[in-house]
Amino acid sequence: MNTFFSDWYYLSIRNIKQIWRPAMALIPSLFMPIFFFGVNSVTLSAFATLPGFPHISYKEFIAPVAIFTAIFFSAGNAGIELVQDLSSGYFNKLIIMPINRLAIVLGKLTEVAVQAIMQGAIVIVLLLVAGVHFSTGFLGILAIFAMLSLFAMAWSCIGMITALRTKNARLVQSLFVLVFPFLYLTTSQAPKQLLPATFARIVSYNPVTYIIEGTRALVLSGWGDPVIWQGFVVAAILFVVMVSLTVASFRHSLR
Amino acid sequence: MIQVKDLTKTYPGDVKAVQGMSFDVPEGQFFGFLGPNGAGKTTTINMLVGLVKRTSGSVAIDGFNLDTHSMEVYRRIGFAMQEVGLDETATAREMLQLHGRLYHLPTAHINEQIAKLLKLVELEKVADRYVSTYSGGMRRRFDLALSLIHEPRVLFLDEPTQGLDPHARQLIWGHLRELNQRGMTIFLTTHFMEEAESLCERIALVDEGRIVADGTIPDLLVEHSADSLEDLFLKTTGSHLADEEVNAKAADPYSRARMR
Repeated sequence: MNTFFSDWYYLSIRNIKQIWRPAMALIPSLFMPIFFFGVNSVTLSAFATLPGFPHISYKEFIAPVAIFTAIFFSAGNAGIELVQDLSSGYFNKLIIMPINRLAIVLGKLTEVAVQAIMQGAIVIVLLLVAGVHFSTGFLGILAIFAMLSLFAMAWSCIGMITALRTKNARLVQSLFVLVFPFLYLTTSQAPKQLLPATFARIVSYNPVTYIIEGTRALVLSGWGDPVIWQGFVVAAILFVVMVSLTVASFRHSLR
Repeated sequence: MIQVKDLTKTYPGDVKAVQGMSFDVPEGQFFGFLGPNGAGKTTTINMLVGLVKRTSGSVAIDGFNLDTHSMEVYRRIGFAMQEVGLDETATAREMLQLHGRLYHLPTAHINEQIAKLLKLVELEKVADRYVSTYSGGMRRRFDLALSLIHEPRVLFLDEPTQGLDPHARQLIWGHLRELNQRGMTIFLTTHFMEEAESLCERIALVDEGRIVADGTIPDLLVEHSADSLEDLFLKTTGSHLADEEVNAKAADPYSRARMR
């Protein structure tokens, strides 16, 4: 067991270094959420005057989405890095070393979590500067990191599974488009009570809705809101299922 | 040290890359695995280390079955692959350190090994450069160093000098001889006759996924009335151009995906 944790640790360090190499690669996934937050909070601000909209500004309403988006956009990198390792042959070196395969997956996911926290922290600082108040305080911010890291790791498994099963860089990169339906078929732009009935039903089937609502509750409502725990439960279930599927996909990396 | 029984690999499309190979390589032997392109050399070596699934047959290294004791096998083997796979975002020293850690070597031993191996492959001066800046020859030399970090009992080498200039080739040959003299079992695939003659005490010639000759070079020359290893090669494997490996790759969904 000790070797499992040391393998996980050293592989995580190796992967975390990749975040910075090159540092320029961090910019797009930070730019997009800030851009969307800036544009949407101005252009859609009239939404806040609609009957049924919570008694907050639209900027506050979409602030949690900005944090979520920063993490969502960065979570796809794990699959791309894995397909690079697969294509270069470096992955083959790892799988014929005496390393637990779960440690290889968790090493990659630790990188995802670290990047998620880093990018989330930058966006939170910008939101604080923009005047957004976090009702659950510093502990709430830590809870946001925990929930969104779990989700980011689960989401990044989609890219890793695709990488392991197809070894196709183009396919893994194209998974980026999945972000949009999963992000917009949620309550990211408007509260559920203002959505058309059919759309609201679809939204309730989308697990991302519960993550966004959980994050939003941590920013706006306070600890008493049960939506927070729903968000954690959904993120944890997704994490366990997706990590299991990723480990199971290892056998597909062998021809 | 290496025991292989009835090894078979059939790729989708009924492409038979390896057909019932059996052989043993004793401890400390420098064993050459020769054959024309597409004969099944790379598929075989990849099955021996567990990178390609076997259709049937068994592999044991140092008495450990690859199916039931894979971790024990992985601790004992080093593999320098035909396609040198390195972490392009790391320096040579970082990669050696990481691999030393992943083989659970003590820190002091890792540092000793790094110094020794970098000297061995003449890369001490560029050890802190990203490996992405290395030339083809430097990458091959570094890959060899990487495969030796944990002092494996068995070293698998798949065409280790392909694409190298004569100086680099001689350098690597010298290192391999030294490692073998120190007791390391070496399994080498090559299609360079000169390489096999210079290094291997025993060779197996493969063609169309089967072993067609196996023994010491002098014995095989006598047995097949051949003048040279090249003559022996042509007599046992024929002079046709094999393309099974290409077919095998075409039949392999992952290769198809890469081609797409």
